[in-house]
Amino acid sequence: MATTSMTPSSMRSGLSQAARLRARVTRLVLYIVLILAAIAFLLPFYWMVLSSVRPKAEYYALPMPLFPRTLSLENYQQLFARSLFGRGLLNSAFLAIVSVILQVAFCSLAGYTFAKLRFRGREALFVGILTTMMIPSGVGLIPNFIIMARIHWIDTYWPLIVPGIANAFGIFWMRQYCLSLSDDLLDAARIDGAGEFGIYWQVVLPIITPALASLAIFVFLSTWNDFLAPLVFLRSQELFTVQLWLSVVAQQGEVKTPAVVMAGSVLASIPIVILFATLQRYFIAGLTAGSVK
Amino acid sequence: MAPTAQLTQAQRPAVRRRERWWRIAAPYVFISPFYILFLAFGLLPIVFSLVVSLYDWRGTTPGGFVGMQNYQVLLRDPTFYKSLLNTTYVWIGSVPPMILLALVFAAILNSRFVRFRNLFRTVYFLPVVTSLVITGLVFGQLFSMSFGLVNSALEALGLPAFNWLNDPTWMKIILVLALLWRWTGNDMVIMLAGLQSIPNDLYEAARVDGATDVQSFWHITIPLMRPVILFDAIISTIGTFNLFAEPYVLFGQGGAMNQAAVVTGTFLYQNSFRYFKFGYASAIAWVLAAIILALSMLQLKLGSREAA
Repeated sequence: MATTSMTPSSMRSGLSQAARLRARVTRLVLYIVLILAAIAFLLPFYWMVLSSVRPKAEYYALPMPLFPRTLSLENYQQLFARSLFGRGLLNSAFLAIVSVILQVAFCSLAGYTFAKLRFRGREALFVGILTTMMIPSGVGLIPNFIIMARIHWIDTYWPLIVPGIANAFGIFWMRQYCLSLSDDLLDAARIDGAGEFGIYWQVVLPIITPALASLAIFVFLSTWNDFLAPLVFLRSQELFTVQLWLSVVAQQGEVKTPAVVMAGSVLASIPIVILFATLQRYFIAGLTAGSVK
Repeated sequence: MAPTAQLTQAQRPAVRRRERWWRIAAPYVFISPFYILFLAFGLLPIVFSLVVSLYDWRGTTPGGFVGMQNYQVLLRDPTFYKSLLNTTYVWIGSVPPMILLALVFAAILNSRFVRFRNLFRTVYFLPVVTSLVITGLVFGQLFSMSFGLVNSALEALGLPAFNWLNDPTWMKIILVLALLWRWTGNDMVIMLAGLQSIPNDLYEAARVDGATDVQSFWHITIPLMRPVILFDAIISTIGTFNLFAEPYVLFGQGGAMNQAAVVTGTFLYQNSFRYFKFGYASAIAWVLAAIILALSMLQLKLGSREAA
């Protein structure tokens, strides 16, 4: 069935030559559209990389030529020589890794609990978690700022890490995956005398690694790319994340050369692109969770 | 296996009692972090926010009680209406075209006789993993007066350069282009997942009946994809009203001169963390939340009525 349904239309029997030609033209048009779109999607990346490797001298020949005459890494050298950019990269990496570990641990434990443990009020409690996802995020920002100020968390990493540790999306995602776990396996472990936490730690965690990986990537990406929370809660430049550095510091004189900012953008994108290229299927799995069905 | 295990448990009554207690309590302990954090950083702030919106609250210290005054001032604030209008323009320019593009590309990449599907999908998805800040910076760079790709191309064709980022209309168009670039791949992947759940038999039956691919797209794909399209439309609408990082980076926190490109997200941020009018900004946040809720309900209603 699957083989017949998707046979190219030109292969069908009894087709006239005109129809076959038309199918070929259609396919050619499709490829042209696909390639043009691919160029449109890649062009901004091309310009970002290109702007970052242009030698300073070329900036005096405005507007910039479409293709560079010479390449140089001076913008990258300047990036690290004159500013806290390197520190920003390390800060972002630290925040992202800590967030990944905590969120994956707490969300998988709660998600597994909702999927596989039986307890009073389970359904109502889970619906409660889902409902919180509908609360508009913009409303909480100001009161959160006031609360963070009262407990002296402004200009620390606590407001960026703590509130998200056990979040609704992560719990929902882990629960959906854990629903497919076999009850027999868990009961067998229980009969063998394993404790509830032991079952999660020794039996469940090793089986759900694909879901853990998806969530980990999702958390890493959103923490690394986050902008609003660092902008609101951080003050000292030593604590700035790489996104904050790019958007705030880079606009304030010290390194205002656009080429240097583009060099910083390239470096801030590299970890994400590598992660995406190697673990693409986990990315896509996390993205489509909950959107279909 | 079961009998031996029962025997072991019977041998350890004390441990068993403790285990039974833990078996009841453990689930609640495992899910408790969410509720504790939600109370502290979710529910409490929301209730608090309503209170703040009734005060003349500046910075982190409360001012006097003003009742509904913040809301009344908001309804007379011309910048508020400007931000709503600009957001509407951006919505019209980005959301419907993005859904259509995403659906068309997903349909093309879903057909098995197109080669290099994974390569195209990867390329289209690449902007989605790029940060919003970098999206803003790169589009600023593309349309920059002196360093931009667009002006360089114009120059190569012998045409004069243009200051794109200083023109109120072009500012919105550039924002729309940045959004299309950043999000189309995201929607496309969601659409692809939806398309893969449509059984092939339907297309096969339509083909037997002599339907063309375009007819199948309109009469099978679109109706069956309605829930996914609706989900996407609602998420994108919420996203447009929360738009902040890209305009912030492209036009600065003031939304450029005369607030030419101010959108609702920028307007909220200006009043919160630039002017520190926390009372007023909380009122803005609530009104925006109400607008978003109303629009989502409207879309849900329209979407389900068409389906019926």
